[in-house]
Amino acid sequence: MRLLRNPVAQYLTLAVLLFIVLSVAASILSARVAADEASADARALTRVLARSVAQPAIPRGLVDGEAGAIDKLDRQVLDRLLVGDVRRVKIWRGDGTILYSDESKLIGARYPLDAEETDVLENGGTEAEVSDLAEPENRFENDAEGLVEVYTRIRSPEGEPILFEVYYSADDLAARRSAVFAPIQRITVGGLLAMLVIATPIIWVLTRRLTRTARERERLLRASMTASEAERRRIARDLHDGVVQDLAGTAFSLTAVGRDSRVPDELRDDLHNAGQSLRTSLKALRSLLVSIHPPDLHADGLAAALTDLTAPAATHQIESSVDVGDIGRVSDDTVALVWRVAQEAVRNAIRHARASTLEVDVHRRQERLVLRVVDDGQGFDPEGDRDPASFGLRGLASLVTDAGGRLDVRSTPGEGTEVRMEVAIK
Amino acid sequence: MTGATAAVMVAMLPSSVSASDDEVRRSGPCSGKADWEMRAKWDESERIELRGRVEHTRSGQIWTWKIKHNGSVSAQGRAVTRSGGFEVRRALVDLAGVDHCVFRAERVKTGEVCRGRIEW
Repeated sequence: MRLLRNPVAQYLTLAVLLFIVLSVAASILSARVAADEASADARALTRVLARSVAQPAIPRGLVDGEAGAIDKLDRQVLDRLLVGDVRRVKIWRGDGTILYSDESKLIGARYPLDAEETDVLENGGTEAEVSDLAEPENRFENDAEGLVEVYTRIRSPEGEPILFEVYYSADDLAARRSAVFAPIQRITVGGLLAMLVIATPIIWVLTRRLTRTARERERLLRASMTASEAERRRIARDLHDGVVQDLAGTAFSLTAVGRDSRVPDELRDDLHNAGQSLRTSLKALRSLLVSIHPPDLHADGLAAALTDLTAPAATHQIESSVDVGDIGRVSDDTVALVWRVAQEAVRNAIRHARASTLEVDVHRRQERLVLRVVDDGQGFDPEGDRDPASFGLRGLASLVTDAGGRLDVRSTPGEGTEVRMEVAIK
Repeated sequence: MTGATAAVMVAMLPSSVSASDDEVRRSGPCSGKADWEMRAKWDESERIELRGRVEHTRSGQIWTWKIKHNGSVSAQGRAVTRSGGFEVRRALVDLAGVDHCVFRAERVKTGEVCRGRIEW
């Protein structure tokens, strides 16, 4: 299967299929053209023999079957008629009598002409057909490959139309057809093969280059993400160890001072309010820290981490709930992926959905982990203009795909949004 | 027609005849001082090669000659005798049935006639 995804293998498969299809098609068409060409050659040669050799040499009396006329014609043209692929020559009278043939035993015999021959005799033209060697007029033919007969009309000196018929060896015609066909086939098949041979290494080199580029881009992306992760971790740690601790200490001190009896009553309320304000800010800061960098996530702590994620929903009057089922042993990487997708989906819901409820649900389905983030907000058209808020999810989708999972966003305007991720448990 | 059949038919003719399976010869006197000879045999193309010869003449005499095949003229021409005679050879098509071959020569100046016949 992996081999089939290889672009070079795909190209070669398609190219070979195309090559076979084109070769067969080219062969069929070329053979047809070559056959037509060979037939046309035979017709042309027959016409030349008829008009230029036979007709001028036909003596008076031949049409009446005079032996002297037969002798004259035989002496004058036999050597000039039996040229090249010509195997037999016959000259017919309209009543089917063979007036002349190089096979003398046929001269004077009578065989009725068929419809095509009669048509040519009456209307002219040149026709070709495969000879039926079973017919008595062809009893002297023993060409194993068969014969092709071509006939045309000529006229005797007396003005009577007679049929001039030449028999060619089908084998010779096939050889001539091959002679025409072979160069066409060589050009077609050779061209395709040459294209295949030239294009394959180019495709291979381009594919390798693209693969290398993709790997490099992926490496840079991972490096960038790692660097960003480290920076976020450092900022979160500094905030947690510095500002958060200081604010916590200050809030604690304010509370303690406010309880001191020496503090005038008119200041006690102010101190209490300042301490309350500090604790609110501290809570917001801790949520921000969670957003900046997730805590060290494990399967056991996923429910708590997701609850922290949804905590800001309350400030937007969104009722949120988190339900994490018994997911068993799940790798930290998979848990981190679930958390990251949930973070993006929850953030989008809080910022853009105008929802009143938000549900985060994680459960195990056989060997896959399923995350659902569902809100009842205004929704959007997933096929419409891209919502800038969805870009983060689209970016995460590639991470999910890399992990062997899939991420779907289902939404309809006015009917809320569901973000669903399925990933294999590692 | 086979040579043997032809030989039988030639044997019925009055003039001098010799025949084998593949060849028939016939000879006889002309109306003057000359003699004639005819020969028929198969050639390489399975045609009848007919040879007509006039002998015992003086050189330089002008003769016309004619070969008839089944009654129609197959070939004709003029010849001038050299070394005491002349000869002509022509191929005839072997047709179905008996082929009647006639050689006739006539001296232009005197009207002397030589005529021979072979049935092939």
